[in-house]
Amino acid sequence: MAELVLPPKMDLLRKDLGDLVSHIDAKGVYGAILLSSRRGLRIEVDNSVESVIQDPPRDGSVVTAFDGETVHEHSLCGFDAVATEKRVKELCNTISSSKPVAFRIGPERKGVYATPMEIDPASLTTEQKLDRCRDLHRRTTELARDVINVRLSYIEGNEYSVFRSAKADLAQRVQRLVLYLVVIVGGPDGSRAYDMARRSGTCGWEGLEFTDDELESLVQSAHALLGAERVEPGEHTVITSPGVSGVLCHESFGHGVETDMFVKERARAARYLGKVVASPLVSIYDDPSLPGGFGSYYFDDEGWLASPTQIVEAGILRRGITDLYSATVLGLERTANGRRQDFTRKAYARMSNTFFGRGETPVSDLFAQVEDGVYLEKWSSGMEDPLGWGVQVTCHVGREIKNGKVTERVFSPVALTGYVPKVLRSISAVGDSFALEGGHCGKGYKETVRASDGGPHLLLRARLG
Amino acid sequence: MQERIRKELDSRPEVMAWSLAHITSREHQLYAVAGGTESRRAVANEYYLVDVLRQVVDSEGTVGCGRGNSTLLGGDDVCAAVGEAATRAGLVHNPPHGLPEPAELPQVPLAEEGLRDDPATTLAELDETLRAEVSLHPQVRLTSAEFFAEQLTTHLTNSCGIDAEQRETKLYLEWVLIAERNGDSVESFVSVTRRRVEDLDLRTHSARHAQFAVDLLSAGSPRDYSGSVVLRGEALGEFMNAHVIKLLSSGQAKYKQETSWEIGQPIHKTKVVGDPLTLWANRRLPFGSESSCFDREGLPAQRLLLVRDNSLANYTADQQYAEYLSIQPTGEFGNVEVGSGPTSAEDLLSEPHVEVAVFSWFNANPLTGGFACEIRLGYLVDGNRRTPFKGGMLVGNVLDALANVRWSAEQGFFGDYKGPTTARFGELIVSAGG
Repeated sequence: MAELVLPPKMDLLRKDLGDLVSHIDAKGVYGAILLSSRRGLRIEVDNSVESVIQDPPRDGSVVTAFDGETVHEHSLCGFDAVATEKRVKELCNTISSSKPVAFRIGPERKGVYATPMEIDPASLTTEQKLDRCRDLHRRTTELARDVINVRLSYIEGNEYSVFRSAKADLAQRVQRLVLYLVVIVGGPDGSRAYDMARRSGTCGWEGLEFTDDELESLVQSAHALLGAERVEPGEHTVITSPGVSGVLCHESFGHGVETDMFVKERARAARYLGKVVASPLVSIYDDPSLPGGFGSYYFDDEGWLASPTQIVEAGILRRGITDLYSATVLGLERTANGRRQDFTRKAYARMSNTFFGRGETPVSDLFAQVEDGVYLEKWSSGMEDPLGWGVQVTCHVGREIKNGKVTERVFSPVALTGYVPKVLRSISAVGDSFALEGGHCGKGYKETVRASDGGPHLLLRARLG
Repeated sequence: MQERIRKELDSRPEVMAWSLAHITSREHQLYAVAGGTESRRAVANEYYLVDVLRQVVDSEGTVGCGRGNSTLLGGDDVCAAVGEAATRAGLVHNPPHGLPEPAELPQVPLAEEGLRDDPATTLAELDETLRAEVSLHPQVRLTSAEFFAEQLTTHLTNSCGIDAEQRETKLYLEWVLIAERNGDSVESFVSVTRRRVEDLDLRTHSARHAQFAVDLLSAGSPRDYSGSVVLRGEALGEFMNAHVIKLLSSGQAKYKQETSWEIGQPIHKTKVVGDPLTLWANRRLPFGSESSCFDREGLPAQRLLLVRDNSLANYTADQQYAEYLSIQPTGEFGNVEVGSGPTSAEDLLSEPHVEVAVFSWFNANPLTGGFACEIRLGYLVDGNRRTPFKGGMLVGNVLDALANVRWSAEQGFFGDYKGPTTARFGELIVSAGG
């Protein structure tokens, strides 16, 4: 078992949770309590100002009672035993058992877990972190004396959670780190352009390194974007970088297989289980247990232990990712994907680390196959359409490919859109590369959680504009 | 606790200035599915935000200013939290600046009294009303809905003498309408943020989106198109709230040289051939989603003229960047308000055009204004004939588009946007693709 020191108030309240949950269970319903602490530090350094900001903590408790039809919850800030007990009593006074329900509450499970780290941020002072940020900023500006600004953002997410139900007694610490570097350049006509690089993961500071070559490449890319063109709208042969592959995956058979969307009749995928939805070269996974993934955790916000889910196998849609409610009402197997934005929000079926499986084609061979195409190198956003199966991936950097080589021509912004099965069936080769990129994922326009996506380079046909 | 924090802040000689916000929120959430209620939730939250400024001197002896913050929950160690904020402030070295002085605060209506009294009942009534409105459209079904009602109170004090409180209510609704034909189904997703029930206008939204869902059933793929494009209502609000104008008009971007916009100079690089653009950053809009009496620093709400006849009139700036630029602080941006045009909406719609009714998500490059966004539902319009299509992309540049636009004379309010209900952009591209 990992060594885990919980925040003192959380640790104190944890001792009472077993009794409190048993009061709810005594009403003939499923009871659970989640204690969730999310604290963060944000350091920003640019050419003119710097800041060290503590993100407002989201510390709170969620008391849950599920009668098989409706999930009743009280969320309250902090970890106060008296207030939590009061909420448990209030819930118990308003709920009662209904018909017997096969809750998907799983086997007995007990454990404490913590992100393994070489350089734990907690072992560094804020001043040491600021100095490291200043040093990286200095290295970048030395390589980029003719730029308008270099912005560096270090974001530290410290998450502790405790989950207690009749079957589960779990605690974890998950350490998420992100480092963004943005280089902004100007043209003689007053125009501006920027490019960005990032590091992220569940890791310590050892995961945040940039080499000088990477920094130089970032500066060059920002300058190249000053002369960016618009891509000729239409269908193109495309190679996607691992990051862009990941967004395509995330927006297609990520959001599209969140089974709360099945309950709401919002997912076309519900009708395609067991059917061909992509090229036979395609496999898609969601895996919250992936070591180092920015979206990783040991158990979800509903106390289910993390493990991988294969969503698409050789082009065939196999299963979705579930939360407790949708798994119960639809009679599906649980996966560890019941996630909350924070203690103030309900749990939905949400992605963790979602990615295309690695292929066998060397990346150089992918490019060699392209006579005239576009390399989509960096993404900026994506949007899902689980019922219409439309997909939009907006890319910040696209590069022309001619005769198997990337040329100097740069396109920005470039949007990849299309009908999901058509795009995924057009995948004709899957690279032997693999990388994940971390970011934030919303459900529609809200409910932000930290997630990552990725995979290998892909060769496909898609509409660009 | 507020008093204890204030005393602790005042007792620390290293703290040059401070602000303290006590934030209390109570929220009810209702999640409906077709056959009943998926979830009911009650949320209580309360915390204190501490912000401190202290004087710092760097290794070369230059005097500067550091800012640090801390958040406290009830029962937290006040001394430790204030100490942490002061320590953080001591680490950074920026050019000196202060905090806002007290000023007269406008009374901007932000709260609905009935909602504050009993949000749970309000949500139950909204659920009932929505189901009734949707039932008027038998071609569609309501398969899910989410209702959020929040009461938020902010009490802000600072060492310069600000002592102000504002109460807000916030309503967020989203729902899904499904239309089906021959085994195929399509959805129209609606999300609305308002401060009071009467501004939700469930009847209009339900009718419009029921029609969208029905039209999506027969929508084909678009053809490549270049020419006039119309945006109306929420889609126009989404376009105008893209972060391009907000970023390029900000004092922060000016100070960091990330914007090339200058006061009195045109914001467009291309020649303006449409109606002139006049735009306000308006936090005084009654019941506007982004309105406030004062912002997080305590700066009073303004209706700030930002762009007058296509030229930048003012930058928006918080206290720090206002001092750096020697301009008046304006506070946060707030809602977008756009001046009317001379033409009726009817006239703007009379010539053939494409209308984009729903974007997947309108997002533009905030520095350049470039965009390429998927169209979830559009119409090719010729007279009374409206041919729906889905897919394809609207391609262009926000600033170029605003240099060639005609605004309607009619005004509307859409939560965070007040302005013409209809805009006809002269030249945009719809890319159909392969």
